[in-house]
Amino acid sequence: MRSFILTGLQIAALIALSRLADAAVRFLHLPVPGSIVGIGLLFVLLRFRIVRPQWVERGAKWLIAEMLLFFIPAAVGIVQYKQLVVTSGFRIAATILLSTLAVMLCAGWIGERMTGRQRREGKTSS
Amino acid sequence: MTALFWLAVTVAIYAASKLLYRRWPKVYLTPLVVTPAILIAALAYAGVPYGSYDAGAGWLSDLVEPATIALAVTLYKHTDALKRNIRAIVWGVGCGAVAAIVTSAGLARLMGLTTDIVDSLAPRSATTPIAVSVSGAIGGLPTITAVATMITGLTGMVLGPLVVRWFGIRSPAARGILFGTSAHSAGISKAFEYDAEAGSVAGIAMLCTAFVTLCAAPWLMMGFRP
Repeated sequence: MRSFILTGLQIAALIALSRLADAAVRFLHLPVPGSIVGIGLLFVLLRFRIVRPQWVERGAKWLIAEMLLFFIPAAVGIVQYKQLVVTSGFRIAATILLSTLAVMLCAGWIGERMTGRQRREGKTSS
Repeated sequence: MTALFWLAVTVAIYAASKLLYRRWPKVYLTPLVVTPAILIAALAYAGVPYGSYDAGAGWLSDLVEPATIALAVTLYKHTDALKRNIRAIVWGVGCGAVAAIVTSAGLARLMGLTTDIVDSLAPRSATTPIAVSVSGAIGGLPTITAVATMITGLTGMVLGPLVVRWFGIRSPAARGILFGTSAHSAGISKAFEYDAEAGSVAGIAMLCTAFVTLCAAPWLMMGFRP
């Protein structure tokens, strides 16, 4: 029960932080979205030990674990585009599929090459 | 009242589909496929328009941003893994994110899709809030981008494990780069299924992809003007 309340409070704190980040973006007319500002802000707060990890850890873990749930209303939103799905749905899906494959091969191959080489050389740098 | 009802229904179907997926972990049974499919069928059957559904269930969408911010905790706890792999992350994500914009716009154009759809698809590899704001800035339709981004996440979850297997992507960092760059938050949750290092690298890869898309998309898209 106690951990349940604690998780709830920490989620509330993270929601408050995201509202704060949104307000900062609007007030300062920043060209980046609130979520990016929020991540930077929380990371800095953790780094400088103003916020202790255990203050937000449980809430963060829950939010990340259930992330897919938060995308479901947007996914259901596809019903608004019946016409588009009928006329261009196949071409859009093919574009997304092929492009995603290209991104994966590019990012994954470069990542594997560079981390593989680093392992062989031993961790000399940094 | 009906708003709360659809919120509860969404959460209930999601919880049930998660149990289903745990029992039968098949790609086509992933909760991001099953839950919307059931909900779309239910809405059609009950004759409920999307607007009244979203009035309640839309509260869930408001949790995307706090969940994204929560990644800061993951990043903080895995700072070492990030520092160790910083070169691979910068190069892998840099090339991957540019490839995402160029191939999305290029393929969309080749397939003869209209300019506003081409623009809507270009930023789809970034996380939803970034993709949507970039889309608006370059002349796309933000709602189309939101759906395209969601489908991208789904595609990444299905395709990612196959690419990892077929192309022998073995290092945890490389897996993280692959998933975070190609499939944003959905990719992160998939990367965590390998290990914590892959997951946290996926988190930073998603953030870097967002930055690259934000900075590079308006310039790259100049090459796709008719």
